[in-house]
Amino acid sequence: MPDDVMPRPESASADTAIEPILTVPPVAGVPKPHPILVVDELTRSFGGLRAVDVDHLEVERGVVTALIGPNGAGKTTLFNLLTGFDRADTGRWSFDGQPVSSPSPDQLARKGMIRTFQLTKSLAKLTVLDNVLLGAPSQVGERLSAAPFRSRWQNQEEANIELAEELLDRFNLAHMRDELAGTLSGGQRKLLEVARALMADPVMIMLDEPMAGVNPALAQSLMHHITQLAFEGLTVVFIEHAMDVVTGISDWVVVLAQGRIIAEGPPWKVIHDDEVIDAYLGRRRAGG
Amino acid sequence: MDFDIIFGNAARAAFGPEAVILALAAIGLNVHFGFTGLLNFGQVGFLLLGAYGTSVSVATFGWSLWVGILVGLVLSVALAVALGFPTLRLHAVMFAIVTIAAAEIIRILIGSTDAIGLTGGPLSVSFDAGAFYDLNPYPDGPHDRYGVGTFEFTGQQMWVITVGWVLVALVSLVVFLIVRSPWGRVLKSIREDEDAARSLGKNVFSYKMQALIIGGVIGGMGGVVDAIKTSGADPNGFRPQVTFFAYTALLLGGAATYLGPVLGAILFWFLREWIESFLRQLTAEAWLPDAVADFLSGSEGVISVAMVGLTLVLLMLFRPQGITGNRIEMQLDAR
Ligand SMILES: Nc1ncnc2c1ncn2[C@@H]1O[C@H](COP(=O)(O)OP(=O)(O)OP(=O)(O)O)[C@@H](O)[C@H]1O
Ligand SMILES: [Mg+2]
Repeated sequence: MPDDVMPRPESASADTAIEPILTVPPVAGVPKPHPILVVDELTRSFGGLRAVDVDHLEVERGVVTALIGPNGAGKTTLFNLLTGFDRADTGRWSFDGQPVSSPSPDQLARKGMIRTFQLTKSLAKLTVLDNVLLGAPSQVGERLSAAPFRSRWQNQEEANIELAEELLDRFNLAHMRDELAGTLSGGQRKLLEVARALMADPVMIMLDEPMAGVNPALAQSLMHHITQLAFEGLTVVFIEHAMDVVTGISDWVVVLAQGRIIAEGPPWKVIHDDEVIDAYLGRRRAGG
Repeated sequence: MDFDIIFGNAARAAFGPEAVILALAAIGLNVHFGFTGLLNFGQVGFLLLGAYGTSVSVATFGWSLWVGILVGLVLSVALAVALGFPTLRLHAVMFAIVTIAAAEIIRILIGSTDAIGLTGGPLSVSFDAGAFYDLNPYPDGPHDRYGVGTFEFTGQQMWVITVGWVLVALVSLVVFLIVRSPWGRVLKSIREDEDAARSLGKNVFSYKMQALIIGGVIGGMGGVVDAIKTSGADPNGFRPQVTFFAYTALLLGGAATYLGPVLGAILFWFLREWIESFLRQLTAEAWLPDAVADFLSGSEGVISVAMVGLTLVLLMLFRPQGITGNRIEMQLDAR
C-alpha cells in the first residue's frame, strides 16, 4: 500500500473529508454529518456495576476517532458489545446504514467491522504469515468444496501472500514471516494483530490499545500509516492511553468514564475539558 | 522363548485389520482434536454406527452389503450433526462430556435385550460379507499363505488389509489436501483461538461442524472395516477404551500431523501384541517362579495394554510431540 494519498474509493462520497467533523460542536452524544456507526441507549452491567451506559454515540465515517478514558471506564466492554463479543443488556446500534439486530462477531466482521483485542490473540501454532493470511476476506479456499483443489484457490492465495508480505514488511515483522506466532514478543504480537486486522480489508477498524508495548518510533509511524488509510476511506476507532498519540493522530476524541460518554470533540479541546481532567484524576463530579 | 513367533505376531497385528481400524479412528480424531481442537471422547460411537449400520442393514433388513456400508456412513454423519448442533456452541468441556456419554448411550441401547430384534442386542449380530470376499483376487485355498516366516496372512486376510490400507492411504490423502488449504488454516485458527477466528469473520460453528462430520465419517469407515472383518458386530467391541486407544495411537504418532495417526496405530498394535506374546511365552518358561507365572498367566492382554499406556507416559515425558510431531510447536504450550 503506497503512502501517498490515493483517490477515494467510490463507496465513500467525496465530502467525507476531515473538514465536516470540524464543524461539529464538541458536545457528548452530538450527531455527525456522515455517521458510519450510530449507537443508542446501550447498557451493560456486571452485577451491580454499570460498565457501559451510552445514551447516544455517532462515529464519523472516514475519520480517526480516539476512545479514551481511565482504566475500567468501559472502553473494552463497549468494543465487545459493538462487535458482538458480549451481549448488551439494552440498546441498539446500526453499522454502515444497517441496523445490527442480532450481533454475531463473524457476521459483523464480514460486513467490515474488524476489531483487535487488548489482550492479543495471536494464533500461536500458526506461522506469522498464516496469521495474517487468515485475515484475508472471501477466500475461495476456505470453502470445503474448493479446499482440496489447489488450482481453485492458488491464484487468490498468491495475491493474498503478496499483500500479507507488504503488511509484514511495514509492521517490521518480515523477518519473522515463517516463525510460529507463539514465538513472538508481546509488542510483536500487537503488531501482528493490527496487520492481520488490516488484511481483513475493514470498513471500520477498531483497535484496542494497538500500540501498547510497541516501541514509540515504530508506533508513531504505524499510526500515521493508519491515518493514511483513513484518508482512503477507512474509519478508525482506537482506544489509547498515551495522550501524545491521541492528540497526534486523532481527528475526534470520545471520552468514556464509568461507562458514560462525558465529553467528545477535537483532541485539542477535549484534553483541556475540566470534566475530562477530573475523570482522569479520579474525582467524581456531582450528578455525573 | 521364540522371538521369531513374538515378532511375527507383533508384525501381523501391526499390519492387520485391527491396525487399519485403529488408524481410521485416529485419523478421524486427528481432524477433530489435532487440527480443530475438538475434544471428542466419543469417537467409538462413530465406529459403532459404521459397524452396526452395515451389519444391521444386511443381517436384519437383507439389503446388499454396499447399501449397508452407505447406511453405516450416513449414520456417522447423523451422529456428528446430532452431537454438534446442541454442543458445539458450548464450552469445549461440555462437548467432551456429551460425546463420551452419547457413545455409551448408543452402545447400551444397541446392546439391550429390547433391541434383539433389530441389532441382536447383547447377542451381537452377524451377516454374510460374501459380496466383499467375492471380489478377493488373492487365491484363498486352505494352504495359501502370504508373507515371510511367521509374518503371514491368509488370502481373505490379505484382501481385507489390502482394501483397508488403500482406504487409509486415500483418507490420509484427502485429509492432507483439505487441511493444507485455507480451509485447514481456519480449522487450526479455531483450535488456537476461536474468538480470533470470529473476529476475522470466520463462522466457527460451521467449520467445527464440518470437521466433526468429516472426522466422524472417517471413524465410521473404521467401523465398516470392523464389520466386514468380523462379518458382524458386537456391543462389547465398542466400549469407551476404543476411543482412548485411538487417542493413544494419535499421540504416539503425533497429533496434527498427516502420518502421525497411521504410524501411531501401527506402533500401538505392534507394541501391544509384542508385549502380550512375550508375556505368554514367558509364563511357559520353566525357570519362572510359579508365583510370577500364576500372576502373569491369563492377564497378558491386560498387562500389555498397561505397558502401552506406560509407553505413552514415557513418550509424553521425553518426546511430547509424538514420533512425527514438531518439538517447537509443543514447547509453545509451556509459554
Ligand atoms: N466479564 C466481566 N465480568 C465482570 N466485570 C467486568 C467484565 N468485563 C469488564 N468488567 C468490568 O467492567 C468495567 C469496565 O471494564 P473495561 O475492560 O471495559 O475497561 P477499560 O475501559 O477497557 O479499561 P482499561 O483501560 O484498563 O483497559 C471494569 O470495572 C471491569 O471490572
Ligand atoms: Mg480495555
